[in-house]
Amino acid sequence: MNTAAAINSAVRFVALLIVQVFVFNQVAWGWGGRDYLFVFVYPLFVAMLPLRTPRPVVILLSFLLGLGIDFFSETLGLHAGALVFTAYARPLILQLVQPRDGYNIKAQPTVADLGSSWMLRYLALILIVHLLVFFLLQTFSIFFFTDIVLKTLLSFPASMLVVVILILIFNPKA
Amino acid sequence: MGRLLRLIINSGGLFTFAILELVCLYLIVNHNDGQRAIWIETKTVYGSYLTQKVNEKLAFLDVARENEVLRRENAALLARIPGSEYDTTVDTTSVVDSAFQQRFTYLASRIVNKSPYSPYNTLIIDRGSNLQVERGQGVVTDGGLLGIISEVTPRHARVISILHVDTRISAGLDNNAFGTLRWDGKDPRRVTITDMPDYVPVAPNDTVYTTGYSNVFPSGLPIGIVESSEPLPGTGSQDLTVVLLNDPLTASNGYVVRDLFKEELERLNLVR
Repeated sequence: MNTAAAINSAVRFVALLIVQVFVFNQVAWGWGGRDYLFVFVYPLFVAMLPLRTPRPVVILLSFLLGLGIDFFSETLGLHAGALVFTAYARPLILQLVQPRDGYNIKAQPTVADLGSSWMLRYLALILIVHLLVFFLLQTFSIFFFTDIVLKTLLSFPASMLVVVILILIFNPKA
Repeated sequence: MGRLLRLIINSGGLFTFAILELVCLYLIVNHNDGQRAIWIETKTVYGSYLTQKVNEKLAFLDVARENEVLRRENAALLARIPGSEYDTTVDTTSVVDSAFQQRFTYLASRIVNKSPYSPYNTLIIDRGSNLQVERGQGVVTDGGLLGIISEVTPRHARVISILHVDTRISAGLDNNAFGTLRWDGKDPRRVTITDMPDYVPVAPNDTVYTTGYSNVFPSGLPIGIVESSEPLPGTGSQDLTVVLLNDPLTASNGYVVRDLFKEELERLNLVR
């Protein structure tokens, strides 16, 4: 992990925390008095961490970020639990979308290094995993399976759209 | 601490993940109302089911202690049923009469133990030396004789039944002829009177009484009815087969006969 990547990650940590809490937590859409559509951008932080980051560090950082968002959302443990799981699953997702000749040692999870189609698949998997776990923790019971799937199906395109837009705007190199 | 950190790093994140995820679940359950309600409900449903299953599987571990408790309870309950109590009330009857001085007193007792049926039947009664029961005293029962006291403890006494081949009781007819009553060990309904002089006329259905000559039983207590007589050639005596009036094997009560004159009469017998 070089210095630029570390600084970029730190900046993303704070920026995504603030954006999520003060902008996208206000966005919720649903019917019948219940919300089904949420926008999550903070999984981007986990996705954009350098590939060689030790797994415990990734998990610990995601826990801190999730906890920070929870503090402002009054849902203590919810975002943190989902993001910790996502962080733990990140190496598996990376394996799933691995290019034919493996990852370059210096490769960063960016459009510039690994291409836009790889980036889309990677972000989609990260978001799907995160949304599923988050809604599972939110309903806290497998009996609300249809709710979980419905919320994921509605939230996934919205979150994906926002995340892709953010990446296109900032187009980070590290 | 260093070892712990190394373990956390070497485990490839699984350790960190597990700990932090558990922390998150703890926070979720403790700080979110909906999730807490679901968790409590789930815990109640599955927890009680699990506890029940575990208890069923582990029930045998408790059996020894349970058994001990139940045995104590059984012992306590058994100690309270009427049969396990020693009756300390004394039922002696004596009549105060200036014309007749009391010679025999009767002490009510219960039979608490019987030997299995054999030629040597004995029984135990629940009266002993505390109530002046002594060796050699007779025991009568409703409608007949029971036996003679042979051993005495403070609270109990052993009775040699008349259905014992060693028993010898003086018995006679109402014409004052007398012999020795004994049992041959065969038929518990019949006893034999030996040493009865053969010139005494005996008819079947004559009643046999105690004579009182041995200071064991009062005189005149009916014992049984003569069934048949058989003279023994060359001895000058005859044997009488007597059907007992009572059944000593099924008796449950006995009255210990105490002869108040026994010492006096024995002193007379000592004089040569």
